[in-house]
Amino acid sequence: MLTLAVDTSAKSVSAALVEDGMLLAQYSQCCGLTHSRTLMPMVEALLRNTGRKREELSRLAVSAGPGSFTGVRIGIAAVKGLAWALEKPAVGVSTLEAMAWHALGQPEGTVICCAMDARRGQLYNALFALRGGQPERLTPDRAISLEELAQEEKMRAGRTFVVGDGARLCYNGLRERGLAPVLAPPPLEHQSAWGVAMAAGDRPGTDAKELLPVYLRLSQAERERQARLQKKGERL
Amino acid sequence: MLILSVESTCDETAVAVTRNGREVLTDQIFSQADLHAVYGGVVPEIASRSHVEVISQLADRALQEAGVSRGELDAVAVSYAPGLIGAVLVGVSFAKSVAFGLGIPLIPVHHIRGHIAANYIAYPELEPPFVCLAISGGNTLLVDVRGYTDMRVLGCTRDDAAGECFDKTARVLGLGYPGGKPVDQLSQGGDDKKYPLPVGHVEGHPYDFSFSGLKTAVINLVHNAEQKGEELDKPSLCASFSAAVSESLVPRTMAACRELGYGKLVTAGGVAANSRIRADFRAAAEAEGVKLYVPPLKLCGDNAAMIGCQGYYEYLAGNTAGMDLNAYANREL
Repeated sequence: MLTLAVDTSAKSVSAALVEDGMLLAQYSQCCGLTHSRTLMPMVEALLRNTGRKREELSRLAVSAGPGSFTGVRIGIAAVKGLAWALEKPAVGVSTLEAMAWHALGQPEGTVICCAMDARRGQLYNALFALRGGQPERLTPDRAISLEELAQEEKMRAGRTFVVGDGARLCYNGLRERGLAPVLAPPPLEHQSAWGVAMAAGDRPGTDAKELLPVYLRLSQAERERQARLQKKGERL
Repeated sequence: MLILSVESTCDETAVAVTRNGREVLTDQIFSQADLHAVYGGVVPEIASRSHVEVISQLADRALQEAGVSRGELDAVAVSYAPGLIGAVLVGVSFAKSVAFGLGIPLIPVHHIRGHIAANYIAYPELEPPFVCLAISGGNTLLVDVRGYTDMRVLGCTRDDAAGECFDKTARVLGLGYPGGKPVDQLSQGGDDKKYPLPVGHVEGHPYDFSFSGLKTAVINLVHNAEQKGEELDKPSLCASFSAAVSESLVPRTMAACRELGYGKLVTAGGVAANSRIRADFRAAAEAEGVKLYVPPLKLCGDNAAMIGCQGYYEYLAGNTAGMDLNAYANREL
């Protein structure tokens, strides 16, 4: 099974070609250029340089969120277009689950703390445990404050490996609160398309139209409207 | 030549299939107006979310309705600017990967050029050169269309777009969003001279427009009446307002027609659907012996057929893009 995976959920952008769990090629960059400009040239070069044809792809995979709203949409829209044109299935995976695969080299039982900067004083986070050479989910994807996360961590013994575009933020925050997590080394810190392909596992995928972003958060306008309606309700 | 075209610059998601530019096989449009109505205007994040949810379904339906298979498509055209950047990005990202997936050329199309091209669909005999006034919720441009892809901007708005002004007026009068249609409907039977409203001028730039003074005047008028507890004659206010917008648009456009002498005037964009503006242009064009082209209502709003049509001419001019094409909130015509 030949999978083309992409990730555009945060600062870095990457594309990978993975065949039956083996990484054939991966391009990534993190230099501030817009993903809408860089993603497709990467995909183009990936196929050209590996000598594979787009028709050979079995399926597409993409990090569906959480993440930057616009970033996630660039990846989803691009994968929808590919899936639609090639008439191939697409798999959307949790960005947090994808980055959990970066902990593969860690000791068995390590807790993987996946962290993205969600702004507004929060992290997008999920915890996994490394068991039998793969991440096993401990919590759902969620938006959580560093304070709450530190409280949870204090309840638990053992090694915690922090990964993701919010890893440093999370690592520093946990240390300030008296904890001693392990920070992912730089090449593994940011989420990757390879992680997306691994998280997709052997899921067959769906039609392009069923592939949808998972934001974990309403738009600002919707949040403010809800708050107004709630206030009104309280006054009545 | 069969072109699949994509439009997502504001609050309409659209996918069309056109043949040789002017023949529309299908134009699938999903309007989000209902989603934004409770907010009194387009919310960019909500618009972007909706675009990505529906875009591939629209493409499915477009092929089905056109009776065309993917393999028969010759190129993909996409509206890449100007617009709400998050919204434009969805269409551009989708269109790029469709073009890559099918191995066919990608054609970037300026959204306003698309609005102008809507007239080629409606009028098979229409060819440049002509003068065009493109008026929509986001743009107000007076253009010298010298060729299909050779255009010169004669004038533009210095502040609000004409359509924006309609939306704000509708909002302050409690008529809902989008404001063009309700203002037009309510103005029927109103006295267009009852409320004297300002017509903006830009010193030293005869072809430029300004609508912020008019907008402010309407808002102040409504607020003053509210404070004094006076009942406003809303139909007459809408009629006076429409007349003021028309007075700003029509004489300048006719002056451009006289200067360039093409004998052809084309209007484009959602505001071109306004009945007062249409009537004034008809009268002025007739008086000056200029042939007037007004697109049918369904081609005035955002759609993808117009992008496919302009895309055809861009393709003939060699204007294709690589996979590094980006989306832009603003881009010169």
